[in-house]
Amino acid sequence: MKLIEGVMYQTNAPKGIDPDEIFFVQVDATKCEACGSCEEVCASGAIQAINDEGTRQVVDPAACMNCGQCLVSCPYGAIYEGVSYVDEIFEKLKDPDTVVVSMPAPAVRYGLGECFGAATGTYVGGQMHAALRKLGFDYIWDNEFTADVTIMEEGTELIQRVQEQGKKDARPLPQFTSCCPGWVKFAETFYPDLLPNLSSCKSPIGMLGPLSKTYGAHETKTEPKKVYTVSIMPCIAKKYEGLRPELADSGFRDIDATINTRELAYMIKTAGINFNSLPSQQPDPILGDSTGAATIFGNSGGVMEAALRLAYEVLSGKKLANPDIKVVRTHEGINTADVKVPNFGTVKVAVASGLANAAKLCDEVRAGKSPYHFIEIMTCPGGCVNGGGQPLDPDVRASLFKSTVAQINRRFRARKVSA
Amino acid sequence: MKMNRRVFIKACGVMAGYAVLGANLTKEAVASTMDFVGLRQTSVYTADAKIYKVRKSQDNPMIKKIYDHEHGFLHEGPCGHMSHHLLHTHYNDRSARLAALKNKGFKFNL
Repeated sequence: MKLIEGVMYQTNAPKGIDPDEIFFVQVDATKCEACGSCEEVCASGAIQAINDEGTRQVVDPAACMNCGQCLVSCPYGAIYEGVSYVDEIFEKLKDPDTVVVSMPAPAVRYGLGECFGAATGTYVGGQMHAALRKLGFDYIWDNEFTADVTIMEEGTELIQRVQEQGKKDARPLPQFTSCCPGWVKFAETFYPDLLPNLSSCKSPIGMLGPLSKTYGAHETKTEPKKVYTVSIMPCIAKKYEGLRPELADSGFRDIDATINTRELAYMIKTAGINFNSLPSQQPDPILGDSTGAATIFGNSGGVMEAALRLAYEVLSGKKLANPDIKVVRTHEGINTADVKVPNFGTVKVAVASGLANAAKLCDEVRAGKSPYHFIEIMTCPGGCVNGGGQPLDPDVRASLFKSTVAQINRRFRARKVSA
Repeated sequence: MKMNRRVFIKACGVMAGYAVLGANLTKEAVASTMDFVGLRQTSVYTADAKIYKVRKSQDNPMIKKIYDHEHGFLHEGPCGHMSHHLLHTHYNDRSARLAALKNKGFKFNL
């Protein structure tokens, strides 16, 4: 076990293991104060009391979507991560025969600075690229580039689905986004009948992995087998996604390692890099350049807005003068909107974050009562910026009063049981 | 302990106190979390409007290069043959393991 930015991690790099057998988050029973904060935030109910004292545990990996909202809500730091690749990545960075590629997600650059004393939400994209270069990554590629690719693919798929309605073998509407790995596992587990509604597009990281080992390797004249791809995410569920057996379309494992924002901060600190004095740098081209549409993937409603910036222009044949489509921006809960597109009609969309909200929209689709064309779902409330792999909210552990109440409660229950 | 009037009223008071306190703490905790998330969300939209020079995916020069009709790696365009090979996937029904757990007596929220 290793302490990384206030969270304990088991340092291992699983290979060839069925990810369904791994506890990506689990409660350390010796630290659990039985306050129940984790159970309150868990939409699936995978985290439950295992004894009369009220000690919580994730009862089985099959019921856990690996989102880590329990972990970030725990006031005691009692929940640990089951998988960490940091040791392996340090070794690969030293190995001259390995070409290590960085693939950071949009939301990482809005959280990383907090680990180095910056105010909540400070944008540190330029320093992040500089830090990755300093750490020794050979190519500073960026997951935001494939967020743009995702828009091209997923937007085109949506337009195809709309156009093929009424024809034989038409794919169903609404189309759900498929960027969020917690949501994808949730659909597979709780709503398998809705899988045809999920976009067949891989998530941005699922696209950047294989593009790095094919297109990227070709453009940089690198042997694909030497390429080692490191996915850097605001998320714990991405570690599950990286291990999915089907993600091997490049002829190799598409994603070799997955870490989150906290682990990247740990790596920068361990390497002795002074993050705050770094200059702002650009990513390497080919698989590095990105747009505003890509960076908003970090927010709930962002994928929707980015897709609409494409769909509007394709469907109407006109330029979208102002790219801000503010009606779909979502802070919490479910947000629905009718977007009027000239020469086409109305595109009906819904955006939800939090799996309890997702379930409401899924039930509607299952009942055949969903009026929407396109639905975006993110597992974490507010979107990836609030992911389970982001730096912790200092207020969660600072609430002395709440923790005192929980400790008294626990002692009270313990005495009652033994009496 | 015998339940007389005094004990009953005391118990009611304690329970009401707990209920109010509990509800307020939860509400406060949720509100403060969303403030925290709100700051990060605002920063994302500010960067989109002010830092990124190109704001639509289809206008990214590297996107134009990869989808170029003649020389692009994905020259058949989005959802073409190469796209389907590398960038699209399929999903698996994972409900069986959950059903097995439910049969063992575990209860979940859904």
